[in-house]
Amino acid sequence: MTGNHHDYQDCGGGHDHKHCLEMFKKLSEYLDNELDELTCREIEKHVNDCVSCHSCLQTLKRTVEFCKEAGNKPVPKDFSIKLKEMINNMPKTTNL
Amino acid sequence: MRTAKNPSPKIIKDNDYELIQAINSGRFDLFHELVKRYERKLYNFSLKMCRDPSDAEDLVQETFLNVFRYVKDFRYETKFKNWLYRIASSTCIKKRRKSKFAPERELSLEEFIPKEGIETQEQVPDWALMPLDKLLNEELSETINQAILSLPEKYRLVMVLRDVEGFSTEETAQILNLSPSNVKVRLHRARLFLREKLKGYFKNDR
Repeated sequence: MTGNHHDYQDCGGGHDHKHCLEMFKKLSEYLDNELDELTCREIEKHVNDCVSCHSCLQTLKRTVEFCKEAGNKPVPKDFSIKLKEMINNMPKTTNL
Repeated sequence: MRTAKNPSPKIIKDNDYELIQAINSGRFDLFHELVKRYERKLYNFSLKMCRDPSDAEDLVQETFLNVFRYVKDFRYETKFKNWLYRIASSTCIKKRRKSKFAPERELSLEEFIPKEGIETQEQVPDWALMPLDKLLNEELSETINQAILSLPEKYRLVMVLRDVEGFSTEETAQILNLSPSNVKVRLHRARLFLREKLKGYFKNDR
């Protein structure tokens, strides 16, 4: 295989484009442990053989990790006071 | 007598159970405690759902008002936190409908499929391999938050509930009244969208 002819039809493992797409669709479910064992093994085998899908899985995993860590700001003091006032001013019944 | 077809719903006694019971039995002063428990979580959820911080504050206020209004109807059939986020999410969706934003675009899986010849032999980049704490800083956090804000809302809601707030697929489906498979589809597209944004950031700035 030459660089010129390299495409998604053969990404290193000798499998086809369709198979890559099938795996690509399931990467999030794989990361979330939502797939059956057989499909998990299939994905693991695929990403071991396919540089592109391996990279995709790793970058997707890191993206999820980043989002989990993405900023947890404190509530501005002024807003906290505003909320307290709002509650104090609410009628003392939940039958609004 | 109850029939097998209509069993009594299971009551979920979570950490908020006693507090909600007390509020519903007339201890309205304890609503302050409820707000204290959830204001920070709801504030950060709202910041991820609204571009404007003052809109985020409005969303928190409206959510607590709705909680106060409807808490008497809470039947303990789900965790209180899940019910709270259901209210926050629907308040958020209603607010958007009232505004004059253009219709949201759909994200298709095809747009994220690695392009022929560009990515096909791409090795795992450094940003996916380095220890997380070596990468995270204020600038990256801001980039991630901006990327989240640029997601179309229906994908953003799912992604924030799943990946930021930590709800399961089933819980997210219940909160948003979607099927679990729909949650999975939206989440995968949202993550792929964010992955593209982060790839761009690390390509340009690193």
